[in-house]
Amino acid sequence: MTEAKVRVDEVMGEIERDVRARLRRHLLKKGGAADYEDQEIFDAVHALLSRAVDGRDLDATLLPELVDGDVDWRLQTHLNLSTHRPAATGRFILFAKKKLLLPLTRWLFEYSQENFRRQDRLNRILFVCIEELALENARLRRSLETTASAPAGKPAR
Amino acid sequence: MKLACVVHRYGADIAGGSEGHCRLIAEHLAAHHDVTIVTTCAKNHITWANHYPAGETHERGTRVLRFPVARERDMRRFMDLSDLIAADRATPDEQEQWFRENGPDAPELLEHLRRHGAGYDRVLFWSYRYADTYFGLPLAAQRAVLVPTAEEDPVIHVDALEAFFARPKGFLFLTPEEQALVAARMPGGTPSAIIGSGLDPAPAASDLSSLDALGLSDPFVLYLGRIDPNKGCQTLIRHFLRYVEGGRPVQLVMAGPASMPIPDHPRIRPLGFVDEAVREALLRKARALIMPSPYESLSMVLLEAWNHGLPALVNARCKVLRGQVERADGGLYYSSAIEFIAGLDYLLDHPDAARQLGRQGLAYVDRQYRWPIVLEKIDALLAQVGHESL
Repeated sequence: MTEAKVRVDEVMGEIERDVRARLRRHLLKKGGAADYEDQEIFDAVHALLSRAVDGRDLDATLLPELVDGDVDWRLQTHLNLSTHRPAATGRFILFAKKKLLLPLTRWLFEYSQENFRRQDRLNRILFVCIEELALENARLRRSLETTASAPAGKPAR
Repeated sequence: MKLACVVHRYGADIAGGSEGHCRLIAEHLAAHHDVTIVTTCAKNHITWANHYPAGETHERGTRVLRFPVARERDMRRFMDLSDLIAADRATPDEQEQWFRENGPDAPELLEHLRRHGAGYDRVLFWSYRYADTYFGLPLAAQRAVLVPTAEEDPVIHVDALEAFFARPKGFLFLTPEEQALVAARMPGGTPSAIIGSGLDPAPAASDLSSLDALGLSDPFVLYLGRIDPNKGCQTLIRHFLRYVEGGRPVQLVMAGPASMPIPDHPRIRPLGFVDEAVREALLRKARALIMPSPYESLSMVLLEAWNHGLPALVNARCKVLRGQVERADGGLYYSSAIEFIAGLDYLLDHPDAARQLGRQGLAYVDRQYRWPIVLEKIDALLAQVGHESL
């Protein structure tokens, strides 16, 4: 039996529209932004944030480059044991940290490390979101300036 | 041709993706070529502890040379370096050290390539991330073909790979997405082919009685493979529990060895490792395959599901999975819990459309992934590499 082809892009288009509508209703019900009453505004916000979360490389953003000069913003998720003590004392302290203290506190370290990793990812997503908003703002500003500088009566291109 | 296939571990009882891919390709190439597998004695992919005896054996038409692992993996050192790589903070030395710590550390394997590499017509290396390939490929670069099995994870972006990807004389990719990922780092004009993996047609009928004793309820959706947080299984379980909270009477069957806790819930049924008969029956009886993995270079399980006419619901954040589903028109994808719920609803509420998606997946496998098609592409690439570089 041959059945009509089911096109994934069409089905996904329907599903994504339905999901956005459900999400909008859910947010409004929970007291989300009143602007979401307007489906078009909601869709525009959804598209911008989705682009930030799904479409961008989290390691290629401008803000971290600017912040990096002043603050070490990345969460350090690996453990680096060190001591300022010299020679034999230092070696003994490092040995004690690695072989005695670390095994005792490893459960806490691993629990924290996992949360640090999550927070680190979230930070990078937020950087991308901010950059997407800044990009949108820059594009709008340029479009506005072009419109303003166009001769009266002739629409800007 | 006299071919060597270099892979980090090898054996019929090893379930890993790239190892399984290597074994299938090598066994099929052995019908027309003289194939030697160059590998380690390791079976465990975490520790690399020696398991198989060192030396030469003959397995399913191939000669297998196993070399001992000199040092097991130190997971703490490896994780620390992985964090540096993920944070894009690793120095060139630390990047190289990452490959060393990832292992397997098999100096005799490298020595074999150094001394005898020129004795093979072509040397195929699987998975750029493992030490045997990363340090071994330069020793046989003149005749090297790389099967990178690259995924979109932080390691693929390390600077050290710029020089490494310039070495092979040819590339065999698993998907167009993987090719695009590596192409940006390899010299233009290097011969390459997208081969995926080969499959034989599934048996026309299966014995479903092996499922009786398992007490599965109908309908069920299937996860097949290693149950591991890195494979997206934590997220899958979270999404699925949210799905069944809505009252849908569906079960999630998870078949594969578990390396994470699975919640004790009446709608989740972990089966552990299953044999071929059960696997076959599960693929026949399930309503859909769920593939939650965020990183894949090719999902063999997805191809297997389509080989049985089973539609799939895959993680859209993995470009490879989404690309496979879109090219095949063989399933749906999700990038959030709410899309997971909507996608699963669609597959369960539209059984005719779901079956059609499965059939379209099968037609795609017939077009792209039957053995004669795959072997023809490999042979053409091996001939091209020889013509251009040797």
